[in-house]
Amino acid sequence: MEKTIIINIGNTIIHIEESAYELLKVYLNEVKQHFINHADDLEIVTDIENRIAELLTEQLEAQKKQVVDVNDVNLVIAQMGRVQDFDGVEENEEEPVLNTNYQFQADKKLYRDMDERVIAGVCAGIAHYINTEAKWIRLAALLSVFLGGAGFLVYAILWIIMPKAKSRIERMEMKGEPANLQGFQKNLDEELLAVKQGLAIAGKHTGSIFGQIGIFIGEFFEWLGRFISGTGKVVFKVIAGLIVLFGVLFMLSLIVGFAAFQGFWDSSVYEYFPFSIIDEGNRGVILFSAFIVFFIPVLALVLFSIRFAFNKQAINKTLSFPLLIIWLAGVATAGYHAAKISSEFKQHAELTQSNDLKSYKTYIIDIDRSKYFSKEDSLKYNINPDNRRQIVTDDFDNGPFVAPYNIRINVEKSENTASRLIQKYESQGKTFQRALQNAQNIDYNYHLKDSTILFNPRFQLRKGTIWRNQEVWLNLEVPVGTRLIFKEDAYRYINNWGTWDCSDKEGDENGYSTWIMTEEGLKCIAQLKEEALNKKKLQLELRELELSKKMRTTDSTFQDSVLSRMKEVKEELGIKPEENTDNQ
Amino acid sequence: MIAENTQIQMRKGILEYCVLSIISRGEIYASDIIAELRSAKLLVVEGTLYPLLTRLKNNGLLSYNWVESTSGPPRKYYTLTEVGKDILSQLDQTWQELAYAVGVSQEGAKS
Repeated sequence: MEKTIIINIGNTIIHIEESAYELLKVYLNEVKQHFINHADDLEIVTDIENRIAELLTEQLEAQKKQVVDVNDVNLVIAQMGRVQDFDGVEENEEEPVLNTNYQFQADKKLYRDMDERVIAGVCAGIAHYINTEAKWIRLAALLSVFLGGAGFLVYAILWIIMPKAKSRIERMEMKGEPANLQGFQKNLDEELLAVKQGLAIAGKHTGSIFGQIGIFIGEFFEWLGRFISGTGKVVFKVIAGLIVLFGVLFMLSLIVGFAAFQGFWDSSVYEYFPFSIIDEGNRGVILFSAFIVFFIPVLALVLFSIRFAFNKQAINKTLSFPLLIIWLAGVATAGYHAAKISSEFKQHAELTQSNDLKSYKTYIIDIDRSKYFSKEDSLKYNINPDNRRQIVTDDFDNGPFVAPYNIRINVEKSENTASRLIQKYESQGKTFQRALQNAQNIDYNYHLKDSTILFNPRFQLRKGTIWRNQEVWLNLEVPVGTRLIFKEDAYRYINNWGTWDCSDKEGDENGYSTWIMTEEGLKCIAQLKEEALNKKKLQLELRELELSKKMRTTDSTFQDSVLSRMKEVKEELGIKPEENTDNQ
Repeated sequence: MIAENTQIQMRKGILEYCVLSIISRGEIYASDIIAELRSAKLLVVEGTLYPLLTRLKNNGLLSYNWVESTSGPPRKYYTLTEVGKDILSQLDQTWQELAYAVGVSQEGAKS
């Protein structure tokens, strides 16, 4: 296989192979150069070109082929005659051969030598240009790299700006060989010889260790290129295959999920958080648009991967446009509903309900860990209230009601001597009215039994109400001096106290912690006890220090240490340093 | 080398005369002239002929007609002009004299 070129010679269009074209070009250039000093050079050259066109056309017809090759051009040249054979027939004022040689010798051009390259043939090209051996240039380049790395940059720039010597003429221009037919033939013969010798080409260009390394590096890069284009392609195809596999699985799960959410299996999923914000009427539309929004890009990715991995068009191109339209429609619908839903969180409303509590010295606060069962639930789960051995518990850590449904308890100091429990229901809504309505639809219960307050850990929404960030706050106000006992994990719902600070060892073992309302707020009794103990200790130490201060009044170092310790203790006790300490 | 030089000079001298003689037989195409010359073992390459023909034409000895060709570009068919014919007859005369001169110098004068 060879590249063909279309040429116009003598007003005739001829297809010619690239190598043959180069040969012909060189020949015609020579002819032109030969007749350049002739009075009628244009006419002569035109005549010759016309004749060449005629000869080539005849040869193509005779051989019944379409493209001129090197042999055809060689035949034409043989018939027309070499420039050297022209001599002696027409007298020329100047020696023509010398003339042509001179004209072309000057044309030495800077190319990258791909035949003798180590990396990109830059050094070899420069060597040709300035007529030295490539190894010296390479040595200089190598040294410049060691001298600070500028060589890298220069090499890279030269690599970019110097063209490759691709064609034979370019290679000849690079080496400064006369680009006439003789030089051309010489170059061609050299190349043929090199090809025939096969591996001998390596020996021809090298002979030195440097060249050997160059050939190794060249081959290494060639191998690397082949590896990337070969194995790399395989890797990409494997990746594309995996994308197809996982994409198909994802699409299947989307379909299954879509079907599930449409209510084929279980409608209770709508009580979970992200789905609980969707109101029932629009559920189908929103789900469908969300399905489209996710499904179509995955489908597109899978189709693209199929095309890449198996070189097959998996889908008609006309189908991709409607798919895009459907996807955009899905995005628009989903976006519209998302905006609509988010607008329903715009207004805030809260509903407060205050209950006075009977006064007790101590309140026990507990969380109702049993699930509330309606009659239907009891029937559903086959719970018989007479069967005492059956215990139903609900692990509400893993239960279906996550964070949004949990209640929050605040314990605060009462302004008067009465205790009360304030229930605050909050909600968002599109309008204040709607928000209030949403808050009203909160269903929450707690139980009072003597001094025990039994809180339900979570609230529920009445049927038909959708989640609009409803919250239940329970503010328990107790007067100063009231004790509070938090049973087990009730502290988890207490919002205003870090209960981890209370190291009530006794209480921990029994599953409760005792607290007391003080002027400063709620305090852990165990912690108060510890603080009091600490205070007593410090006061004792202070007294001792004051006593020891009166002894050994002459020992100044002892006095200093006692004074500084007293200052520390006083600071910890909160006693202001006395005015007269400076005088002493 | 000296022999070669002389040979070239001799060929050169008669080439123009031969070409004119061939054309004088009738309208003819350049490559046909070559064929004739080749059969006469006088000339090898076509490239030599074109400058010669151009010079003869420019000196008014030849004229040409464009003739359409089935293969390739139109061809130039050369004919002798009146001047050409005149000159050819002069050259004929000269050739006779030269042939005589050569003959005599080789075999001696027949008195």
